[in-house]
Amino acid sequence: MPAITKLSEIVTELDELIRGKFTGKSFWISAELSGVKKYPDKRWCFFDFVEKNENGETLMKGVSWARSYQNIELFENSTGIEFKSGIEITCKVCVSFYKAKSYPQLEILEIDFAHAIGQLELEKQKTLKRLIAENKTIKYLPDGRYRTINNSLELPKVIQRIALITAANSDGQRDFKKVTITNKYDYAFSIQEYLTVIQGKTASKLILEKLKLIQQENFDIVVIVRGGGSDTDFAAFNDYELANAAATYSIPILTGIGHDRNTSIVDLMTRQLRTPTEVGSFIIERNMNFEYELQQLRDRFFEAVEDLIEDRKETLIHFKQRVKNLHPTTILKKGFAIIKSNNKIVTDPKNIKVNSELQTILKNEIISSTVNKKSKNEKQSDI
Amino acid sequence: MKSNLTFDKAFSDLTKLVNQIEDDKIQVDTLSEKVKEANELIKFCETKLRTIDSEIKRNNK
Repeated sequence: MPAITKLSEIVTELDELIRGKFTGKSFWISAELSGVKKYPDKRWCFFDFVEKNENGETLMKGVSWARSYQNIELFENSTGIEFKSGIEITCKVCVSFYKAKSYPQLEILEIDFAHAIGQLELEKQKTLKRLIAENKTIKYLPDGRYRTINNSLELPKVIQRIALITAANSDGQRDFKKVTITNKYDYAFSIQEYLTVIQGKTASKLILEKLKLIQQENFDIVVIVRGGGSDTDFAAFNDYELANAAATYSIPILTGIGHDRNTSIVDLMTRQLRTPTEVGSFIIERNMNFEYELQQLRDRFFEAVEDLIEDRKETLIHFKQRVKNLHPTTILKKGFAIIKSNNKIVTDPKNIKVNSELQTILKNEIISSTVNKKSKNEKQSDI
Repeated sequence: MKSNLTFDKAFSDLTKLVNQIEDDKIQVDTLSEKVKEANELIKFCETKLRTIDSEIKRNNK
């Protein structure tokens, strides 16, 4: 009978061999992730590194233990990319032997964010170029913004009827409703919720379906919000179909997708505000602004009414004065006289003949006289 | 007040009234009528800002 070697002895030898060869060494690798399993409460993560090459595929087990788990969190928070199967990452790893399962594995020490962001940005730029090429209504402006049908739509003066696309029981939903519903100005809102998943593979399609439903109703605006620290996957908002639909959507869309680092393509096609709370505040401010303008207008109106009445009063006083000035007693006081013939005021001397009886009425006296001569007044101004 | 009145319509109507008065295009005889009209427009906006028919709805279709 041949000498039997225990499996565990081989494993120990392999372990020693790998230790001897790889202790203190690290490598930068670039590979795709697959089979990612995360255990956030234990702070473990297991996955496979896959490299596609001329031999087909090379696969190695990958791991992140508690001490390096923060790398994954940091990566997700900094890039906005979820650490999940299908993404390619560049990272620094060390080689160890996992004795419990008897396989060699690569443990993540550091992840290259720039590479991941670069990849994402490249994808985004590609989608944006395609949007501009295929949708003539989307214009790239010199300041880096995009003008679309949607973000050129005029917002209503007052926003009241709101279609809210959000995830059920999410921070975004709560924050947005808190700001709008409990506003101190007592503005009324009708918020209809269209609940959907907002990240993951199907999210963009589901959001698109909600937009179609909303279009059949009568809303002032559509609000898309999400929030919360664990939300990292923005892929849905960089989706070509969703972005294209948003760009040409007939009701103004406001986004509060809650990420400072990345502006998604949907944000660029619509009106972007940073957070759900900011979207809420924007709406309140818009309504406040309307009310302010209304008050300005009211003040102007009543000022104009007062001015008008005041103006008419002055005109009346002026008229009164003129009437008074023209009154015969005022004229007599100034030294003028009224001449009457046969009890009628003489306005035309043609009818006055020599020997006519005249009464000259002065301020205090009436003089009766008989005309003994008539002649033309050559110099009319000579009084 | 008309039931199909909107914020935009009310606001533009009020603006028109203000301009008419400011430009002296209103007869004093119709002034009280115009004041009444303006007051109604303002009241409409103020009330509409703070009331709405339907409350929050949930839609999971």
